[in-house]
Amino acid sequence: MSLELSMHTPPEVPLEAELLTPDRTVGMDSNAVSGIAIQHGNRQVTVGDFFTVKGKGEGELHLEGDLSRVKHLGSGMSSGSLYIHGDVGEHLGAGMSGGKIVIDGNAGSWVGPEMSGGRIIIKGDAKHLVGSAYRGSAVGITGGEIYIHGNVKNETGHGMRNGLIVAGGNSGDFTGVNMLAGTIIVLGEMGIRSGAGMKRGTIISMHPTEMLPTFSYNCDFNPIFLRLMLRALQSQNFNIEDKQITGKYQRWSGDSVEMNRGEILIFRE
Amino acid sequence: MADNIRTVKHATCTFCGCVCDDMELTVDMDKKVITKAKNACVLGRAWFAEHHIEDRPAAMIDGKEVTVEEAIEEAAQVLAGAKFPITYGLSDTTCEAQRQAVAITDIIRGTLDTTTSVCHGPSGLAFQGVGESTMSLGEVKNRADLVIYWGGNPAESHPRHFRYAVTPKGMFIPNGKKDRTVVMIDVRKTPSAPVADILIQIKPGKDFELLWALRAKVKGKKVDPKIEEITGVPLSTINDLVERMKNCRYGVLFFGMGLTMTRGRHFNSGALLALATDLNEFTHFVAKPVRGHGNVTGADNVVSWQTGYPFGVNFSRGFPRFNPGEFTTVDTLSHGDADAALIIASDPASNFPKAAIEHLKTIPVISLDTKQTLTSKIAHVAFATATYGINTTGTVYRMDDVPIPLRPAFDSPYPSDEEILTAIRKRVHELILSRRGARGATGEAKVASKQVL
Ligand code: SF4
Repeated sequence: MSLELSMHTPPEVPLEAELLTPDRTVGMDSNAVSGIAIQHGNRQVTVGDFFTVKGKGEGELHLEGDLSRVKHLGSGMSSGSLYIHGDVGEHLGAGMSGGKIVIDGNAGSWVGPEMSGGRIIIKGDAKHLVGSAYRGSAVGITGGEIYIHGNVKNETGHGMRNGLIVAGGNSGDFTGVNMLAGTIIVLGEMGIRSGAGMKRGTIISMHPTEMLPTFSYNCDFNPIFLRLMLRALQSQNFNIEDKQITGKYQRWSGDSVEMNRGEILIFRE
Repeated sequence: MADNIRTVKHATCTFCGCVCDDMELTVDMDKKVITKAKNACVLGRAWFAEHHIEDRPAAMIDGKEVTVEEAIEEAAQVLAGAKFPITYGLSDTTCEAQRQAVAITDIIRGTLDTTTSVCHGPSGLAFQGVGESTMSLGEVKNRADLVIYWGGNPAESHPRHFRYAVTPKGMFIPNGKKDRTVVMIDVRKTPSAPVADILIQIKPGKDFELLWALRAKVKGKKVDPKIEEITGVPLSTINDLVERMKNCRYGVLFFGMGLTMTRGRHFNSGALLALATDLNEFTHFVAKPVRGHGNVTGADNVVSWQTGYPFGVNFSRGFPRFNPGEFTTVDTLSHGDADAALIIASDPASNFPKAAIEHLKTIPVISLDTKQTLTSKIAHVAFATATYGINTTGTVYRMDDVPIPLRPAFDSPYPSDEEILTAIRKRVHELILSRRGARGATGEAKVASKQVL
């Protein structure tokens, strides 16, 4: 049996609930979970003050209600599954190292910042700084996968070191800025200044985009890894046409102000 | 002519970030007005001339006049009771008052932000990401032979900035402007343009691309020839500028909000700071934001010194956390997070986005301002305070992080920001301690009660 939490009182100010993760609640009954401390603005309260808790912690946690003001859910989790039936606030899955998070609705900014493993699936949109580094740190996510079916905003994969980020919709500006390695796929329109300051890594865009003056065109080709990757995405209900799997991609390398070892692949019919 | 005339030498103008400290004020002490401000620019003269004592109550609650003590009590109750109080403003007051505001926010576990977040906040982020190669304006005066202004119009916004960076004769710049090359990079020909030896007009919103191309050229890398199409600046101009930058003895890049508040924001400032860093392989190169408000640089300094971060700091958990975009005031208001606001010397109700203003109207606001503003009109508790630099002493920071003392011209019947904030700080401290005490004094509260703040 899994744990089910449904929100009975909407918070007046943001809630910070980093202790609510499937792995930390293993073995807890509903009473114990109701007693977990969470932060409501500047006051410490308990889960029971805002949620009705049912079930027993066995590594699967369901949350329900408008959680758009609940931050830090799934922070630092290492195993288990977290399902959120609705929208969710910022810092979802921050620094997580394993397990799975599935969101039915939209997420706020900072999805999976500095995560090192695990998987986040968002059915709706996310905002800025998906899979990014926190301000002041140079390295973003070091592993794991983030799948967003909707749109994302600026600075997706900022400082990314490894892992995979997929946006089914459009992305904002500075996708993969200061990227160190890893892969970002944008199926919709990609904003400008992608890959600024990237050292290594791959950014894939399905539509033409304006390139920075420090990127140079190399060749057209059809990389094998991409075929496999796109087929895998197709099986996850991402909208991928067959011609994108078999077609050719322009390869641009950059960023020449850095090591020039990164690549941007642009689908060209 | 009235007899009771006083002259104040070496007074300081706090109108803009230049903080000129060579003012000579003539004050009519009977009428309490400044009749003459020698050395001031147009903006400075207007700042001094327009200042007279307004006739409005020193403190009001919901628009009704009350004593200052009553207002302080009410303000403290609101702040101590709030779950997500925000403090905002701070750029037009003294460092001493800023310090008290930081202490209040720390005690009430609120969120602290300054007007930096809506002007050079992106630069603050970029300093962290890239680092800053910096200097004082005195160094520029004595050494700089290449001065570049990017995205600013100092002739109108900081009229005397040229006196620091363009015209003065310095130790290694004996002929002043003749020994300097001045470059202006902007989207249009501004009134500052006549000062420039080289004028580079760039397409709006393409600063990042141009900076990136300059960086690549400085590093000897190829740049896509399409750069002229993208930025409107020919490759030959870029090459010429790069040569000048690499071959000058001491170069300085001043950048304004034309760079930080256009598409790309902190990456634009970051690119410019990185360019300055790159150039240090060849010569000495520095970069400096041209700050707007009188003491906004002081706000950055005080908040950094006290919390470790320049703006957008949250204390909900009892320790400072920095996250612009989450804890910056536009965001805390637009998301509807804040449940009380302490606004010091700033008018967000007139210049914030609509969603933020709408939320501000729904929460109790405590405002401190020298004049009546839209914010003080919607405030639950409104204090009228004395003007810094004209009525009160204190310290302000010039845009190059040099602290400058203030010499006031005449007294004001109103208390200073510092006095009001100190009183509020003492009262919220008592309230918070008694609240913790009521829940059984914890070790933390016992220690805090012994602390002299
Ligand atoms: S430049 Fe600025 S500080 Fe100097 S006198 Fe003019 S307004 Fe005042």
